[in-house]
Amino acid sequence: MADESTTPSVDRRHFLKVLGVSGVGAAALTGCSTDRVTKLVPYLVQSEDQVPGIATNYASTCTECSAGCGLHVRTREGRPVKLEGNPEHPTNAGTLCARGQAGLQSLYNPDRLKAPMARNAAGGFDEIKWDDAIARLAAKVGSAGGKFAVLNGYGPSTFTTLLQDWTKALGGTHVAFEPFAREAERAANQKTWGRDDLPTYDFAAATHIISFGADFLETWGPVVEQQRGFAASHGFHDGTMSRHVFVGPRLSLTGANADEWLMVPAGSEAQVALAIAHVVAERKGHPLAGMLMAYMPETVAKDVGLTSQQLHDLADAFIASGPSLAVAGAVPTQHRGAVDLCHAVNLLNEVAGNVGKTVLFGAGPAVTDGFGRTRDLFASMGRGELQVVLVHEANPLYALPKSGKFLESFKKVGFKVSTASVLDDTAAQCDLILPNLHSLERWDDLRPRPGITGTLQPVVEPIFPVMHTGDVLLKVSKAIGGAVAGFNAASFEEHLKAEWQKRAASGKAGDFDSYWRGALGRGGIYEAAPAAAKPALVSGATQITFTKPAFDGTGDYVLMPYPSSMYYDGRGANKPWLHENPDPITKITWQSWVELHPDTAAKLDVREGEIVELTSPHGSIRSQVYVYAGVHPGVLAMPLGLGHTAYGRYAKDRGVNALDLIGAADSDTFLPYVSTKVSVKTTGDYRKAARVDGEARQLGRGIVQSMPLAYAAKGMTPEESYKAAGHVEGEKNTERELAAIEGFAEDQAKATQYGDYANPHPKWGMAVDLSRCTGCSACVTACYAENNIPTVGEEQVFRRREMSWLRIERYWEGGEAGEPLAVSFAPVMCQHCDNAPCEPVCPVYAAYHTPDGLNGQVYNRCVGTRYCSNNCPFKVRYFNWLKYNEVAFPEPLNLQLNPDVTVRARGVMEKCTFCIQRIRGAQNTARLEDREVRDGEIKTACMQSCPSGALSFGNVKDPEAAVIKWKRDPRGYHMLEETNVRPSVTYLARVLHQPPVATPAGEAH
Amino acid sequence: MLSLPSFRPREIVHMLDLTRRSADMRKRFLYGLGAVATAVVAFAAVSRPSDAQQQPTVGPSPLTTSDSSKLQGPKQPIFFRHDIHAGQLKLQCQYCHYTVAESSEPGIPALSTCMGCHNLVAGKTKENQVEITKLKTAWSKKQPIEWVRVHTIAKHAHFPHMRHIKALGTQACATCHGEIAQMPQVYKVNNVNNMGFCITCHIERKVSRDCSVCHY
Repeated sequence: MADESTTPSVDRRHFLKVLGVSGVGAAALTGCSTDRVTKLVPYLVQSEDQVPGIATNYASTCTECSAGCGLHVRTREGRPVKLEGNPEHPTNAGTLCARGQAGLQSLYNPDRLKAPMARNAAGGFDEIKWDDAIARLAAKVGSAGGKFAVLNGYGPSTFTTLLQDWTKALGGTHVAFEPFAREAERAANQKTWGRDDLPTYDFAAATHIISFGADFLETWGPVVEQQRGFAASHGFHDGTMSRHVFVGPRLSLTGANADEWLMVPAGSEAQVALAIAHVVAERKGHPLAGMLMAYMPETVAKDVGLTSQQLHDLADAFIASGPSLAVAGAVPTQHRGAVDLCHAVNLLNEVAGNVGKTVLFGAGPAVTDGFGRTRDLFASMGRGELQVVLVHEANPLYALPKSGKFLESFKKVGFKVSTASVLDDTAAQCDLILPNLHSLERWDDLRPRPGITGTLQPVVEPIFPVMHTGDVLLKVSKAIGGAVAGFNAASFEEHLKAEWQKRAASGKAGDFDSYWRGALGRGGIYEAAPAAAKPALVSGATQITFTKPAFDGTGDYVLMPYPSSMYYDGRGANKPWLHENPDPITKITWQSWVELHPDTAAKLDVREGEIVELTSPHGSIRSQVYVYAGVHPGVLAMPLGLGHTAYGRYAKDRGVNALDLIGAADSDTFLPYVSTKVSVKTTGDYRKAARVDGEARQLGRGIVQSMPLAYAAKGMTPEESYKAAGHVEGEKNTERELAAIEGFAEDQAKATQYGDYANPHPKWGMAVDLSRCTGCSACVTACYAENNIPTVGEEQVFRRREMSWLRIERYWEGGEAGEPLAVSFAPVMCQHCDNAPCEPVCPVYAAYHTPDGLNGQVYNRCVGTRYCSNNCPFKVRYFNWLKYNEVAFPEPLNLQLNPDVTVRARGVMEKCTFCIQRIRGAQNTARLEDREVRDGEIKTACMQSCPSGALSFGNVKDPEAAVIKWKRDPRGYHMLEETNVRPSVTYLARVLHQPPVATPAGEAH
Repeated sequence: MLSLPSFRPREIVHMLDLTRRSADMRKRFLYGLGAVATAVVAFAAVSRPSDAQQQPTVGPSPLTTSDSSKLQGPKQPIFFRHDIHAGQLKLQCQYCHYTVAESSEPGIPALSTCMGCHNLVAGKTKENQVEITKLKTAWSKKQPIEWVRVHTIAKHAHFPHMRHIKALGTQACATCHGEIAQMPQVYKVNNVNNMGFCITCHIERKVSRDCSVCHY
């Protein structure tokens, strides 16, 4: 095996060298000249699974969060070019979120460390040799005598077990660390059911969902799986859909996808849950009703700022049909009452009979040691009890608040070691850095939850000559001997295989080789989780002791830090794709901000972009204002993830870290993120927000249309629904106008009779179901990755020069004059109009219509007049103003470029092509096999990545095509239909649980 | 829908290859950055035509590497004789350019392909022995040969070799590349980077002239 695998690896390494060289040539492409001397470098031995020009997919596992989604890594000539979901994986079933896809940019990150680093006398770092680095670690660990600890952010896996055993053998302490570790939920589950683990939530089976601040579509739990489930139940299907109510002080992306948002003050969510539980228990005759007498809707209504009728209605709806589901526990509700809230929600699920139906124990996400253990570890560092500490795949000095003096404690450790592959906030404080291999470069596995073991395999030769931390441990063991002499595998790969051999032997796996290869090929082993008995309430569970959570400080506003959709816990901050993919709600890129309610802003007399100073007892920061009606007037919300002191060029000194304002935990179990009151002071400074949204409201244009469920269920079209709601008919075309439109269509039809256009061709079309789209923006990153779209940076976004071929439009609905705020999303890409206005204005025929119905854009013809963009009603054409192709991909980030797509140069207009490279690829394959392209064979990048399954693509001339069924849906409409551009993209109107007479979207303002 | 075949073990690298059998959209043109190894290829030739090239000989002409600079086409690190391999020995082009019928890239032979024969074939003439020794040295040092590219097309155009082989047959290489089988040293007969060269043929054969077939 060793021989077999080393031979091709030599080739691949060499291949990458070549790619590095020719990559520069490709990026510098400006004209047609091919007169350069270029070299052709063959393989020494042709690897069987690499065919030049054809992609090879390898199965792997995503390590960008703890959900552990399955990956298919698309590689070309030995180099990963795109991450897609593994269709066989039960968690993500082929789809992948934006953060997961951006994992490619941590592989090719230009700031990755290229060698081990040791701190020198001057306080800087020197590159050292690996042998030296291992000897230094061995010397320190060997003499630590048990005064040694490991902080490990990598999930349960063969590696983590090795690390744990190794640490134990040395007498050290191992702490599993994760910033958003859901400790409050576990404490509540202990209180309710006497169990310490987390459940999985079946959103697909729920007919009524209440989320108490739990952002299950963006950052809380396994979001891709939850989004799939949510789309299955909340997407309009068979005349029905589930109802989703969001309760909390801030309207997050998850809240924006709710049918109703109940704005309550921070810390009062538990009262809402208990009031609903009380009504439900009463209706169902549950004995708990008596215990909850203190929480009758009438009692709590005033406290939570709702009417008792609202609470009664919500409770009635909650049990009206089928299983329902209530969820809580995310960071925006981690105040000091978080355990009470989760306990209340547990009781609500219990009385509604959801436990065992939509709340399922047994296969919940793997848990960590929790915040308490981490805090204790740092406390012992502070007491000088540790000589050596090793931080692996974690950045605690960023993710823990400054007020806890974690940095000061950390500095008291004699010898601090990090395995970070980028110099992050924690590694910058260490004495020795042993960069680990990226997860796409190394052997490993991951057990994100019972029943699932994902495998990781090297899909590329290491980009930089760094070492697997597993191998480091084994080498150090060899050097120390003694207690760790038993860790004597030749390499971590051998160790991993030996462990899998044991696993195979213990089951009915049969032949190990086929078991192992089978697991690698499928990306892991997926088994049903061991069945867990339905949990029973423990005796003390009904003793409800709700007290209002306390907040530190005397400021007027509660500070609510929340995990950013893109940066998550901060690890996304070094990836330009995530910087340039705007926040789904605020549409701000490359920055952090503080959200103020319009009333608050008016009171303070601040406007968007003004810098305010927030002060809490724990610190003070300055941040720019974003005025947002979706935040409670008593709350200031800030995204987490920026404000790094290190972590590479994209992250360092960018934005601020809201954690600087919060207190360190006074709770043993979890870090109370929402526990601080802040005061606000204006500074008079201003910083423009790099926002990518245009007009924030639809202004009656009907761009994102929605209709009440009652009408959609009757099969009405959006227009019929609009009229049925009592609206007068819009303006009609005059006969003269109609004749002109007709004449234009005839001319177009005639034009199609010339040349090749007369032959039979497919016609490509797309449909977007807005009742499934959540606005999560996974498709945006997929488009960037597939189409080599350059990230332009904050300065250029200020000038509205972002290149996002596919963008998510976000429109506010209501929110004024007492109307509830609602949000509409729609992905907008080139609509490939049949009567495309961009085409006739192009003086050089660079924009033209292809015979297969695409709106083509020939880059080498384009001279950059930008007339086409001026004439596009959808503003989906993007002009390459500067040499973005040269600055956006600093080496080795250029290795991510898709070889099937031209890297566009300066001065060229570019836009969505419906992934024409995928269309041509499928046509080539079909032609070789003497057949037609099959329906479903072509998946555009956006459609492939969408966790909600909101997009469909195909040949609209094929009556059997899936896309045709979508397009025939009565909910279908064309964006800006009145312009008569005849788009190839059909949108299916969003469906909402709203009273049938409510104003349809697009009219209200 | 994209069908994903079940795993099939492979000998050398135990990883899943979905693409070649899944008939999804992976078969595409090598472009941009990745436009690395391709096939036979390119260079504006300036030198005067030699007798050997104008009047192809039947047997191997007794040329030495020093003669190669007098021949058309760029001088290569090893004086590899297409006229011997493809002409005299009648090796099929696809024996070495092994992916031309399935991929946009025709593929250049791995060193191991050369060594498949040259482990045993040491060359009859002294001139040939010198060149084969270069190959063997490279193989033992694990140093790939850096061939000079002869044919290149611009990076904003995509040329799928397999579609052309499918349409014109496996003997069609000469249509664009000329009679390689008679060239001691490969040179550019047609300027394949001239769109007129492509389009003339597409008009004659009444096949698509749509821009987006090649430019995307």
